[in-house]
Amino acid sequence: MAETLSALAMPLVVVLVGMIFLFGKKDYFDAFTRGATDGLHTTVKLLPTLVALMVAVSMLNASGAVTMLSELLSPLASAIGIPSELLPLLVTRPFSGSASTAAYSALLDSVGADSFAGLCASVIFGSSDTVVYVIAVYFSSVNIRKTRWAFPCAFAVMLFCIFFSCFFCRLWFF
Amino acid sequence: MLGKIFGVLCLISLIFAIFTGNIEALGSAVLDGAASAVQVLLSLCGMMCLWCGMMQVLSQAGLIRRLAKLLSPLLRIFFPTAYRTGEGIEEISANISANLLGIGNAATPFALRAMEQMQKHNPIPEKADPEQITLAVLNTASVSLIPANLLALRRAAGSENPYAVMIPVWVVSLLCAGMSLLLTSLPRWFDRILHKRNDRENSHG
Repeated sequence: MAETLSALAMPLVVVLVGMIFLFGKKDYFDAFTRGATDGLHTTVKLLPTLVALMVAVSMLNASGAVTMLSELLSPLASAIGIPSELLPLLVTRPFSGSASTAAYSALLDSVGADSFAGLCASVIFGSSDTVVYVIAVYFSSVNIRKTRWAFPCAFAVMLFCIFFSCFFCRLWFF
Repeated sequence: MLGKIFGVLCLISLIFAIFTGNIEALGSAVLDGAASAVQVLLSLCGMMCLWCGMMQVLSQAGLIRRLAKLLSPLLRIFFPTAYRTGEGIEEISANISANLLGIGNAATPFALRAMEQMQKHNPIPEKADPEQITLAVLNTASVSLIPANLLALRRAAGSENPYAVMIPVWVVSLLCAGMSLLLTSLPRWFDRILHKRNDRENSHG
């Protein structure tokens, strides 16, 4: 039931859009191509940043730093229930979307997308955002310097997200 | 900021590589990293293209507007000033609806416009208004019903079932969004209770 629901969500949206094409009063295909072009542009514009950060993350992995730090942290990590392989993702996630995309896809390549660490990383990647970046952009757009409890709250939510993702994955998948 | 992240990562890599004797591995890591960036991008490209197109159609067909209407009772609780004055409330609901549909690109401009509107009722302009904080923090924990780029990346990494994480993502992100609404509203609620008590004491005295 749950499996079907999650596998169906995406195709359902595609079919819904197809129905809008069929029965809509306007020609919605124009809207589609416009949106798709935008999407393409944003993705392609991501490449320079992604290249730099993938290189950095790949160097970090090759230098043995990730393995070493992961091993060092693994007693702590297993005590609190978070796989130590998640470290690069957790460190980059609050700051930058491209850096955490690089860390996430490097992680999937090294431990596998369907391993416990890979699943936890996926849930964290899917349900958190670039905390520091978002808050900085939002408040600087209206010239607010005192952000008061914005950062403490956002980081508390992020921590909860990390712990709860790992907890829920253990419950859900194993 | 990205430059600094890059710099720090490079420095750590160099130090560790010398330390662990992995110095040759760094050379191939540079080549691999640049190549895999293109692979990641290619695996994202098709999905992003398709999904942004689909979402554009849905928003043209009025889905954002309809979702926004459904959300309005919730907004009354967490954005009372914006709701009462009507300033920024449309942008807030459009922002949340766009996030739900996974159109991050469309969500941000709505949020920024909402911040501007809310700034009009901010008594101290350089200090964040509680409702502005709620909006900003909510956007750091956004619920997206179909995380398209996540699915594309999982598929590219050879997952047997890329969709397996959908329900955990829904559960976790809903809880996180709920938590960010509650946490950021708490100071505002406490403040109001205190004010009420002060007012009562003053009227008695």
